[in-house]
Amino acid sequence: MNNEIITAENLSKRYRRYKKREGLAGSIVSLWKREYEEKTAVDRISLSVSKGEFVGLIGPNGAGKTTLIKMLTGIIAPSAGRLQVLGYYPNDMKNEFKKKYAVVMGQKSQLFFELTLNDTLRLFQAIYEIPEKDYRESKAYFTELFGLEKLMDVQVRTLSLGERMKMELMAALLHGPEVLFLDEPTIGLDAVASKQIRGFLKEINERRGTTILLTSHYMEDIKTLCGRTVVINGGRKLYDGETETLFERYQRNKRITAAFSEPTEVLWNAEEPVRILEDSPCKKVYEVPKEEGKRFLERLMSYEPTDIGIEEEEIGTVVERIYEEGAHA
Amino acid sequence: MRSRIRKNRKVLQAMLALRFHGLTVFRLDFFAPFFIDGSLFAIQLLAFSAVYSNVDTVGGWGRGEMILYIGTFSLLNAVSMTLYFFGVCRIPDKVKSGELDLYLTKPVSPLFRLSFENISPGSVPLIFLSIAILAYGGRVAQPEICGRSVAAYCFWIAVMAVLYYEMEVLLRSVSLYLVSSARMDQLEEAGIALCMKLPGIAFYGVYKVIFYLLLPYGIMATLPVQSLIGEMDGRLAAYGIFVVLLFSGLTAAVWKRGLRRYNSASS
Repeated sequence: MNNEIITAENLSKRYRRYKKREGLAGSIVSLWKREYEEKTAVDRISLSVSKGEFVGLIGPNGAGKTTLIKMLTGIIAPSAGRLQVLGYYPNDMKNEFKKKYAVVMGQKSQLFFELTLNDTLRLFQAIYEIPEKDYRESKAYFTELFGLEKLMDVQVRTLSLGERMKMELMAALLHGPEVLFLDEPTIGLDAVASKQIRGFLKEINERRGTTILLTSHYMEDIKTLCGRTVVINGGRKLYDGETETLFERYQRNKRITAAFSEPTEVLWNAEEPVRILEDSPCKKVYEVPKEEGKRFLERLMSYEPTDIGIEEEEIGTVVERIYEEGAHA
Repeated sequence: MRSRIRKNRKVLQAMLALRFHGLTVFRLDFFAPFFIDGSLFAIQLLAFSAVYSNVDTVGGWGRGEMILYIGTFSLLNAVSMTLYFFGVCRIPDKVKSGELDLYLTKPVSPLFRLSFENISPGSVPLIFLSIAILAYGGRVAQPEICGRSVAAYCFWIAVMAVLYYEMEVLLRSVSLYLVSSARMDQLEEAGIALCMKLPGIAFYGVYKVIFYLLLPYGIMATLPVQSLIGEMDGRLAAYGIFVVLLFSGLTAAVWKRGLRRYNSASS
């Protein structure tokens, strides 16, 4: 049985944008003679997603992630290519299709800030035609899952960003969508709130079988949640495969930060593959290959640092590496 | 079709409830429109009475007919402000900010939701004030009013309220095609301001083409009044229906095509 619910073939989106020469003369000339350039936001991307998958979509700013999500949800029409989501062409904007998916955009809220979530959910109940019994069950389930019992009657604008994001998710999931599109849902959230959101998404994917497509700038989101990752840059797909393989193959270094109570000089062998990123008397930042991390850390501990931080390589670096090496899943 | 109407009714009820909740959050928001809209209405009436206290007839209409005309235009304006104006006027902002995305992904007509999500209870008194002006105009004009002419008047009011709505949507739909559409608001304001003071029968030549066809504000209150005072013939009625149908088709086409062209603001 074909389990694919999203199929995109050579999907492209091109925009025309106006270019103006610098200065007053350029402005005057532009009144009669306009120059346009074509910008390709998404360039011949082919993609298929199966039911129940949790797929991560990563790439630097302007890579085309959000444009892709907008095409998949029907907000914008593709310039070329074939697209089917849940058996529909999204830009036909059929209501039956819209009832089967939900989209949460980290930077655009569907909540009414002056109102409470309880009030807002009634509107969504009417829009999605959710029967009263199902509405109550669904609301009870998500209220408990997100721990929102005490916040349902509080004005949305008085809540923290993390609490608001839980509410966005609840409003989006109330009608039981088959596919959930998430565009940077953890943007701006602190570590605790991000971790909570990740936990909820994992539960929704595993327990409810909701297919999730997630775009994020944060490696942690992708690593924790997505079995499969698609990397795009400049509108092109660079990698499509297992998340584990991606990070094993392309995330090669760790960034280690050490803080000392007094000026310290850390000695190391010049042949060691360690790159110094910062070397101030009381703070050192190193970039160390993953396989050397343990050994390097043990040696660093002998200098008795007051604090140690270990970070993953940034998403941009990984994408750059994939681009340079021409990855294939 | 019936299930769609039922659904839209439920969505409208939910939006009304939300709007009421929203307005009651800040008491000033709730009470201020009653005062502000009432004041604007009074200013319009004062301007009108200042102009027409020195004029006996306009295009053959006497003072009574002109009061009926002003009452009719005020009624159309009040219905618009109560029901859809404050929703429709935000369309260009929602397009520019990309907020329209969230309307497009919900299984209800985006235009329906945008139009009726900002219903303004504060404008309801204007409807009653307009009816009071109409009653006064009726006394002054003393037209031969019978049940049929009142029914015809109500019919034309309903039809012209649709045309008024279509014009508002049409001018705001330009934002789906052009980045800057501020001039469209000015065009509307100028058209309404002029046609609120002068009935369509006062326009001739190119002005008649403009205000009877291109920007049909000139017929919006004129036709209902003509139906009430017995000046409407079959040709005029057919023309009125033709204009409304023309603008219905045009508005639907411009809106739908605009949505297809919508590129959504970058996030």
